[in-house]
Amino acid sequence: MSTNSHRRGFLKRLAQGAAFAATLATGSLGLAAPAAAEFPEKPVTLVVWSGAGGALDTYGRKLAELLEKEAGWTVKVDNRPGGSGAVGLSQIVTQPADGYQILVLTGTLTFGIAQGLIPFKLEDLRLLRAMQSEPSSLAVLASSPYQNVQQFVDHMKANPNGLKVGGHSSGGFHQYMLYQLMQQGGFESGWIPHDASGKVTLGLLGNHIDAAMMTPSTGLSQVKSGEIRLLGVTTAERSPFLPDAPTFKEQGFDLEGAIWRGIAVKAGTPDDAVAAIQSAIDKVTASAEWKTFQQEQFQDSPDWAEAEFTERVQKDLAEQTEFLKAAGFVQ
Amino acid sequence: MDGIAQSLGVIFSLGGVTVLLVGALLGIVIGALPGLGPSIGLSLLIPFTYTMSPELSMLLMISLYTSAEYGGSISAILLSTPGTAAAAATAIDGYAMAQKGRANEAISISLTASTVGGVLGGLALLLLAMPLAQLALQFGPAGYFAVGLFGLTSVAALSGGSLVKGLIGAAFGLALAMVGIDPIAGTPRFTFGWFELYEGVPFLAALIGLFAVSEAMALAEKHVRGAPAIKGRVGHVFMSMDLWRETWRSMLSGSVIGTLLGILPGVGGNIACWVARDYARARDPRPEEYGKGSANGIAAPEASNNATVGGALVPLLALGVPGSPTTAIMMGALIMHGLHPGPQLFAEAPSLVYAILFGVIIASLVQYLVGSLFLPLMARTVMLPDGVIAAGIMGFAILGAFAIRNLMFDVWLTLAFGAIGYVMKKLDFPVAPVILAMVLGYLIESNYRTALVSSQGDYSIFLTDPVSLLFLVLSLVSVLVPLRRAWRRRALATE
Repeated sequence: MSTNSHRRGFLKRLAQGAAFAATLATGSLGLAAPAAAEFPEKPVTLVVWSGAGGALDTYGRKLAELLEKEAGWTVKVDNRPGGSGAVGLSQIVTQPADGYQILVLTGTLTFGIAQGLIPFKLEDLRLLRAMQSEPSSLAVLASSPYQNVQQFVDHMKANPNGLKVGGHSSGGFHQYMLYQLMQQGGFESGWIPHDASGKVTLGLLGNHIDAAMMTPSTGLSQVKSGEIRLLGVTTAERSPFLPDAPTFKEQGFDLEGAIWRGIAVKAGTPDDAVAAIQSAIDKVTASAEWKTFQQEQFQDSPDWAEAEFTERVQKDLAEQTEFLKAAGFVQ
Repeated sequence: MDGIAQSLGVIFSLGGVTVLLVGALLGIVIGALPGLGPSIGLSLLIPFTYTMSPELSMLLMISLYTSAEYGGSISAILLSTPGTAAAAATAIDGYAMAQKGRANEAISISLTASTVGGVLGGLALLLLAMPLAQLALQFGPAGYFAVGLFGLTSVAALSGGSLVKGLIGAAFGLALAMVGIDPIAGTPRFTFGWFELYEGVPFLAALIGLFAVSEAMALAEKHVRGAPAIKGRVGHVFMSMDLWRETWRSMLSGSVIGTLLGILPGVGGNIACWVARDYARARDPRPEEYGKGSANGIAAPEASNNATVGGALVPLLALGVPGSPTTAIMMGALIMHGLHPGPQLFAEAPSLVYAILFGVIIASLVQYLVGSLFLPLMARTVMLPDGVIAAGIMGFAILGAFAIRNLMFDVWLTLAFGAIGYVMKKLDFPVAPVILAMVLGYLIESNYRTALVSSQGDYSIFLTDPVSLLFLVLSLVSVLVPLRRAWRRRALATE
């Protein structure tokens, strides 16, 4: 693998050299001059903090492919699963802050930090770009009597813990969304955690839970066939992928949130390297292939750059810490 | 009908045959290397499948997946080093048989049983996908808990001479399964602050350490003492008529068990192999042969772990939900092609669905072909000097340990498990119960607690849930029947 990428790097440099020679020959030296010192001068590693095959890995690999195609970089993908992301994060933090190690991470970052599972701080990173996001949704079976969020909330108000509500992971994003709904609707509900998102769909289909907070794409084929009904989606506006599914907002509940996927580098990475990364990402997001990919994956494209991304993540961390305290996950 | 014809056209095209052969070849090698299982194999393939048609990429992945399930048994038989977790049960009788100079026979049983299991699992997928998926939906947390408990009752069958030692091993395995983030409360426990342990003690580190590293140490010791080397015969791949007559029942029962457990997310081959071995042993007129090189002790687990391939694809194709980490990667590859697995795929891309359905069956046959070419070469490894084998096992073990997560932590952990395994061998403790309990511990605990959360603390859920009740009764039977047999034997002896 590594010899291969080195060879590709060498070939690429050879090609760049040839191009440089060609520009010299045509006399347009002024334009080509900064090429020698431009980032990246060597292969870049995308450190994916989860194992191969999942949604984050799929995103990381597509990003690597397009960085090579659109920006001409040589990119290696390195899966570093473990420790709720701490393993991948520690790899970034222990390497020089030169931008050659880019972390591919998700919004579970803030939950991990708030729960004390990730022994790092937001200040250890420069959050460069959020490129994908997926909302949560309140889902029931087609045979369920509830047609909208209000009916669900009314039932739960009248019968505290009356329905079995569950979703992926314990103390994570989806439970946080339910918690916010509980606050606004003034009801009590338990939470049945599932260790894989696919199992949430199975639990709903098998009538082992009555309602789920889940990413709409988790049960996509059932949502499309109408077997699963989405009562509310946590986006500001209706998603173009699911035009029939109403948002919480349009039903009078101020519930909005999404789990993002994006990239970060170590804090202290120089601005010129960051600028080079940002302009390469711009090329990726502008490409037709990226847009098709996002559509096929049912992903929204938040495209938050560093300032907005950092601000949102700081806000998430503060609010989630509060939720985890209130729900008894942390002291 | 068009879909069927088109899919067969793809399978038997030059490209189709090529990817099936390449997949089988890679699968056998990846399966045989400890630590590298089907899911790592598939994730390595992903970048290459981008440019292929969805049909060909699925055929390649299925072929690798199937053959890796068989490949795991080769190193289990020859070196007592299960290449995959699902081959751990095969190591017990396979290695014992190889030590008697019958390595060739052991591998041919494994190859034949794997093929039979793969074909039967594939047929179940082809003909019964929808009803099997409905069956999988009946399993709630209480049901999963009871299945796990049922699996745990096979500890007795793995204990060899002493049930007490087997139970101690199982308790150790269960204790190891408690390490990591609490499945309900979400907080880390017993991790000593190491975030490398947050996802639990890596199961593969224990598997490689307890089986492979400890065996390497024992072999090195034997080499130093100058024990006589094994002489083996290398022959052809075909099983004799007598062997067929002896093993066909365990192949059949193993295939059924593998298919059924394969459809349950989070259960699969790692557990099916033990249950299949236990089932075959309980119905064998000579259960005392198990552990000493029984042909059925290879046939049953090997048929079951290949049958899980067909089973694991059931929820993916019928419901669009992956049933195992390996099928999750296949789903990722399909999504990369803009296809979303699920029942609507039958209408949207029938030729792809049929390529997957027939692919499982045909990949099993290709695996037999490729496997039989490999066999004479493989069977010769046992004749190498012990010292060479020990060094080889150690090398592959460390490679495999590092490949788990690219962490040196896992390598040290594997070596520590090796030392524990070596001491256990010296004290005559079986290592299989530790592995079994580690596999089942998480399944049992997380589902037990989830069931109680969903019933708000009411324990009657385990009896009112029909699936749970069924498996609790089966567990009771599987504990009581051998006890009654032993009691009767004792009564006869005292008369």
